Amino acid sequence: MLSNYIKIAWKVLLRHPFYTFITLFGITFTLTILLLVISMLDHVFGVHYPEVNRDRSLYVQRIEMYDSTKSFSMYTTPSYAFIKKYVTSLKIPQKVAAICMSGGNTYLRNKRIKLQVIYANADYWDVFQFDFLDGKPFRQNNIDQHDQVAVISEKLGLEYFGSGVEAVGKSIQIENDWFRVIGVAKAVPYTRPFSSADVYLPYNITKSHYQDVGIPGSFVAVLMAPDKTQVKAMQAEYSRMVRQMPLPIEAFGSKYFYFDSHADGYMESFLRSSPMRSVSESGKLYAIGVLLMLLFMSLPALNLVNISISRMMERSSEISIRKAFGAPNKTLMGQFIIENLFLTAIGGGLALICTLLLLQVINNSGWIPFADLTINFRVFAWSLFACLLFGLLSGVYPAYRMSKMNIVSALKA
Amino acid sequence: MVQHFFKLIWNKRGSHALLIIEILAAFLVLFGVMGLISYEVNNYLKPIGFKYEQVWLVNINYQDLPDSLKLIELERMKTRILDYPQVAAAGLSSGNTPFSNNQSNSDVSYKKTAAGRVDVFSVDEQYAQVMTMPVESGKWFGNEEMKSGEKTIIINHLLEEKLLGDESALGKKLTYNKESYRVVGVVEHFKQFGEFQAPIPSAFFPYTVQMGWLNSILIKVRPGTDASFEAQMIKELGAMSKGANIEVSYLTDQRKNTNTLILIPVLVLLIISGFLLFNVALGLFGMLNLSIAKRKAEIGLRRALGATRIDISRQFVGEMVVLASFSIALGFVLAIQFPLLKVFNLPADVYIAAILLAIGITYSIVLLCAFYPSREAAKIQPAIALHEG
Repeated sequence: MLSNYIKIAWKVLLRHPFYTFITLFGITFTLTILLLVISMLDHVFGVHYPEVNRDRSLYVQRIEMYDSTKSFSMYTTPSYAFIKKYVTSLKIPQKVAAICMSGGNTYLRNKRIKLQVIYANADYWDVFQFDFLDGKPFRQNNIDQHDQVAVISEKLGLEYFGSGVEAVGKSIQIENDWFRVIGVAKAVPYTRPFSSADVYLPYNITKSHYQDVGIPGSFVAVLMAPDKTQVKAMQAEYSRMVRQMPLPIEAFGSKYFYFDSHADGYMESFLRSSPMRSVSESGKLYAIGVLLMLLFMSLPALNLVNISISRMMERSSEISIRKAFGAPNKTLMGQFIIENLFLTAIGGGLALICTLLLLQVINNSGWIPFADLTINFRVFAWSLFACLLFGLLSGVYPAYRMSKMNIVSALKA
Repeated sequence: MVQHFFKLIWNKRGSHALLIIEILAAFLVLFGVMGLISYEVNNYLKPIGFKYEQVWLVNINYQDLPDSLKLIELERMKTRILDYPQVAAAGLSSGNTPFSNNQSNSDVSYKKTAAGRVDVFSVDEQYAQVMTMPVESGKWFGNEEMKSGEKTIIINHLLEEKLLGDESALGKKLTYNKESYRVVGVVEHFKQFGEFQAPIPSAFFPYTVQMGWLNSILIKVRPGTDASFEAQMIKELGAMSKGANIEVSYLTDQRKNTNTLILIPVLVLLIISGFLLFNVALGLFGMLNLSIAKRKAEIGLRRALGATRIDISRQFVGEMVVLASFSIALGFVLAIQFPLLKVFNLPADVYIAAILLAIGITYSIVLLCAFYPSREAAKIQPAIALHEG
């Protein structure tokens, strides 16, 4: 039965190449755009190199403090002292990375190279799994001994030392200080702010403000649970700790009597500091995503519906004969919906190919430096869902119209 | 004639309803995209009011210095910077320098009139010279204003207009933060975020009166100055104050970044909606072809009764135009609500331009799609058409 339907659909496709082109163009284009958006979102929020532990990590990006009347508030990032004293003492987190993202300059033959610098603690290298092309990361003993060491990215290594030169063991000047290179890490796409940098330095170098003794500072904390199941418990433990913070907090010459902070999943931690705050629960977020997807699909779907209905006449003799021999409306409707899904599947396949090509173009264009956009299983599952949605959106109404066709007038035509 | 088209369309209202909705949707998409574009163009046409070429930004962050000492340190740095022969002018500024991500706003009022959101800047006597800002009336801050501690303010033309209408603001007392400030000058324009920002009222204060969060020095360098001077300067400034974090950036670079951030979404939107419309156009074209194939008998009959080819193609184009007019009329009713209800608080002419452009493009797409099929329809031979029917 199913194979028969598909065979018929294939014959209909071949009958008028021009209309087939219009239909497939619409489907392919729509699904390509959706696939691009989905793979972009996956690139930004999914689990990728080197942030492979994202699904069992929580992020603390900011703290909130209010004065006694709640009239003056302060939103900022926590200090290293806060992370050391309150966050690392939590029981559940296996590792706590402290990260300070900053900028810096280095000069090479009178040319300035602008650098992204990350100051980090030793746990950083466990929470994020970097690939080292050469050398190794700095460890607790380097930090204890205040070693002036640096891990640099592959890109900076090439730029500063030239290709084919072993960078490990050489020295690099950043601002006015010299650092010994102990590792060269594979470059990270710029879209991952906690792991993408040109230089990684131990946090206890003066410039990273680690000496701030107060609560506000310039660090971000990443808490890694032993496994996924303990993430919820870890979040609860963090909230408990926040509630038990000794108050008031003194900062910048004022006293603050209220303190608040959250450990969130990766995407939620960004949304918390944006106007989208109220929708930061993932359930709502997916609902909004699907809604936007539907809205974008509606115009091409409408177009497809219109064409299908116009082409209804082509099929009138087939429909009316089947009807005359007793096929119920339901069966006919099922047939047309399956035909349409088959068509969407072809379009979806083409879209997958187009997307792969476009992703290659984006990856190579340097538009997002070191981008590694791919179609993985998650993206593929989403695209199947999008296909199905589009097929139903554009198929149900024409199928209904066709199945309702009047036998007599159809046979006459 | 038009009446006749209406009748023909009305008779087939069931199948035309979807078509009307499709054209309406296309119109609304066009309205949105054109709205965004005309908004950006509208902003682009308004002058930014300063020059960014050869201006460098030095950001200095002290970690643990009280504000009073910071000021002394910054002034020391400025004096040092002015000593370099490569430097034409240098001025202290609050962190919200042009093209930076920082922004600082507040309310400024005159008598009972409040201006709403005003961008406020803490600057010094050389700021206008560094940024090449023409002063429209009055003068820029001089040593006298910087030193006397008198509460003075310089505003841009837009703020003057908002607070006083056509009157001159010079010498008037404006209220900011519950204190009164005397206007000493009016500058023409000032758009902190560059070309694509909507004009916004701005006010400048001497940093000695309103310190804000002072951590930037803007430098106008002489032509031909390169990065080697920059390296030397950073080294010497770094040696002057240990523990400070010094960053140099060029305003031209920052401007490029700011503009890219605005233009990339517009470009992506343009490409996507372009494809969307191409898709719609193909669909319309296909549908028209099909409907003409279905109406061969009608065409044959009209031809047999003496209608010319032009009459036939005019009929099909006419039908499409009437159909499109339906959709556009519906879309217009929706779109006109935006300027009427002042949605997003944009100037009405942005919306009007968007509506006109959307109408124009929708009609051209429809006409383009109707042209070829209707010419094909006109070629139909009456004898063959009647025979087949």
